[in-house]
Amino acid sequence: MDFLISQNYVNYVCQCGLLKPLTNLYFCRHCLNLRCSFCCHHEVDSHFCRNCLENIPSSEAKLRKNKCNSCFDCPSCSFSVLSARATTIQVPMTVKEKQEGEESSTTTSEASSGKMVAKKMYYLACLACRYSSRDVGISDQASQNFCWPEQEYMHANRFNTILNYYQALVLHDKQVKQDEKRRKTTNKSKFQSMTDRTGLNVSAIRRQMGFDKTVSKPKNKPASILPSMTEEVEELSEDIFTKPINLKNITTIEQRFTQPANQPESVKHLYPQHKNLSIKRSIRCRHCEHNVIKPEYNPTSIKYRIQQFASSHVPEVRIIKCYPLMPNKSAFITLKLTNPTMNDMTITIMELPTDDEEVMMIDEMKKNFESLTVSSKSSLMRPSLIEDPRIVSCKPTAKLELPDSSFVINQRDDSAEFDDEIQTDKKDPKFVIWRKANKIAIELSITPNDLKVNDEVIVGFTMHYTYSTVPSTTAEKKDSQQRHALNARVYLNVGNIVDYSTK
Amino acid sequence: MPLFETVFQEKPAIVMEIGSAYTKIGFCGEAHPRFILPTEIESIRDVLKKTEKNLYDQAVDFFNKIFFDYLLVSPKDRKVSFVESTITTPTLIRESFAKVLFHHFEVASILFLPLHLVSLSTLAIDTALVVDIGYKEAVILPVFNGVQILKAWQAQPLGGESIHDGIKASLILNGVKDEILSERVIEDIKVRTCFVTKQARAVAHRNNESIQPCPDVDYPVDGSDVIKIPGNLREFALEVLFPEDNDYLGLPYIIIDAIIKCPVDSRKELAENILLIGGTSSMMGIKSRLRDELRTLIKSEFYMDRLYIDDVKFHNAPSKPNFTGWLGGSIYSATDLISNSITRENYLKHPKIPDWIFYDGSSTRNQG
Repeated sequence: MDFLISQNYVNYVCQCGLLKPLTNLYFCRHCLNLRCSFCCHHEVDSHFCRNCLENIPSSEAKLRKNKCNSCFDCPSCSFSVLSARATTIQVPMTVKEKQEGEESSTTTSEASSGKMVAKKMYYLACLACRYSSRDVGISDQASQNFCWPEQEYMHANRFNTILNYYQALVLHDKQVKQDEKRRKTTNKSKFQSMTDRTGLNVSAIRRQMGFDKTVSKPKNKPASILPSMTEEVEELSEDIFTKPINLKNITTIEQRFTQPANQPESVKHLYPQHKNLSIKRSIRCRHCEHNVIKPEYNPTSIKYRIQQFASSHVPEVRIIKCYPLMPNKSAFITLKLTNPTMNDMTITIMELPTDDEEVMMIDEMKKNFESLTVSSKSSLMRPSLIEDPRIVSCKPTAKLELPDSSFVINQRDDSAEFDDEIQTDKKDPKFVIWRKANKIAIELSITPNDLKVNDEVIVGFTMHYTYSTVPSTTAEKKDSQQRHALNARVYLNVGNIVDYSTK
Repeated sequence: MPLFETVFQEKPAIVMEIGSAYTKIGFCGEAHPRFILPTEIESIRDVLKKTEKNLYDQAVDFFNKIFFDYLLVSPKDRKVSFVESTITTPTLIRESFAKVLFHHFEVASILFLPLHLVSLSTLAIDTALVVDIGYKEAVILPVFNGVQILKAWQAQPLGGESIHDGIKASLILNGVKDEILSERVIEDIKVRTCFVTKQARAVAHRNNESIQPCPDVDYPVDGSDVIKIPGNLREFALEVLFPEDNDYLGLPYIIIDAIIKCPVDSRKELAENILLIGGTSSMMGIKSRLRDELRTLIKSEFYMDRLYIDDVKFHNAPSKPNFTGWLGGSIYSATDLISNSITRENYLKHPKIPDWIFYDGSSTRNQG
């Protein structure tokens, strides 16, 4: 089955010009076009921890620096999550416990040995690589959650000093600049004043007279901090020339980068790391700004609130059979088409657009989009951009003989799956081999170009299909079930040229 | 515009430093990057072989990963700061990144920050000789009173890549199979076993004097093979940064070259404020070795009478060397200076990124 699924033999052309299998495409119901993850807009929907499946509001996630409070990654192998292991230790009773103990000892005679009491303590351990929090000297904790000691960053204080200093400095400079500006603008009077000629202005006179209160004092410069001093360089220790090193105690570069702040060189400093959160993302069409994918908030649910997968709107093409391909000789291929919608579809198979037509299509698309953004006022402020549509990189290497007429595929009907009867009421053209429920098999003839042995044979066609918009639940649209004629460009990789001369 | 609007904004700006080997990403105003991950845009390593379209698609994939798998933010209407080496970043890459971020991700603004300049803000000084030893190359740029002295700029392909090539060649000579020596394995060997030796031992090694080599290491690969890493390789693998030949283009030489191209008055101050950044400068022993080499050079006959400096001194940034540049970007973006960035509206009007040689003030000017 992997052979059938993992290879992409049938590719559809997304609106942006990229070739993708149908399962990787979305279908925007509002612009009635195929979209892919490249030409859509991604957004972060909700944060959650993929280990404990806790939903974390985005404001809280920001506070926690996108880390989960209760789950830890193994700093040593970074494959698995650390799990809390319980041990019991004997601890002497505290006073309170003792009192309770004494009360109970009045009833039981054998309480004299109960000076020690068993207590559950927890430590973190990795089940994959045997790392444990005891290795780095974290003492066992009495509670399982939220109380593991945090690792401190040694430069944190110095950094905060520097940051505050620079913020104050930049603000100060800005204020000084604004003050200067104000002073300059007030001086620019239309009329020359007498005081200017004499070199005295109002503020100068006031200052001379001792009224300098209105003159704004220059703001105090922020107190400068101690700049970094050059330090004595650490010498290479002599030990390195004589003592063998133990690789097991030196961290690898991956282990160092799991802790970007400290980047420990010895495994003794590998502290448990808070697990990073994951996100659910929603995907939005850039053209009409409607969602094509919107997941449910609940992290335990894998369902969607909005899901516009192309595979549930666009007829699916599969290759059933292909006869041996030889250059310049016609061969038959059998294709199966499936209608995933609840309405009948009329399908016409047509030729692919030529290069010039493709360029024209792209131009038209751009124009349409521009007129759309100009007309809608809301997006005038922030015009959304589309990815520049591209010309399809794939070129067909075989000619397809087009069927002479169009055909109808029945609607999807889940109950029809159980019917054995094959509908024959419709007059089908010759190339239709069989039909069953919402599936149809057609046979087409292809002629590969002048290719060499083992070259890939690619055929392409434009599939013209009718699509009926599903009436939405709102009453106003109830009657307005519209039928649209849509196109999808399909490229099939039907196989390689076989070598017949040797047989 | 109110003064506090941008400083206390709701959404902190995203700060990125996309190096040729590793990408540092995080948010402004934080003391360290959130993630350091390998740069997955192949074209960055050899940009000339790829077309722009290819670079665009790869950048879209990579930024998708950054935004949705790591930082977990919607990039739309976010501010983004890039810390980059303004001189050595190819224009094609800057323009492609701007195009990807503005067109595909619709970010609000982009601020390009020169790596060498912003690194100084981590020290709260404004004069230093910044030595960036990265993966592809070592780039040296003196900054004096907050101004980059472009004339004295120096760069040589001395970095992680040349070290890796050296280690690989010497291991293959020792009979190790080529296929197990992936880039990842070689990097791991370099990081875990190699170091920069002392000057005296390096000189002795160069003169083929016999010295007691440091112990060999058995390095297991994939659980099946064991590579024996000779002590000589461990000790002298990083000597590629200190070549002694007639070109005089080793790391210490180009540092001195950068100083000598600066005005005499600034040299002493620059030499006493050296800052090492970049991933390769976190190798063990590289700082003390550089200091010794530089001190020898200063005292050498050739430079004695023309350099006029007495000593070299180094700074320690409050960070690991591989994200010092990022940290500078984080500090810069947390201040009000981020309002100087290129906004989306302006970019759509003039799709051009200002440059050293093409500076168009209109694209960065604020509206309103």
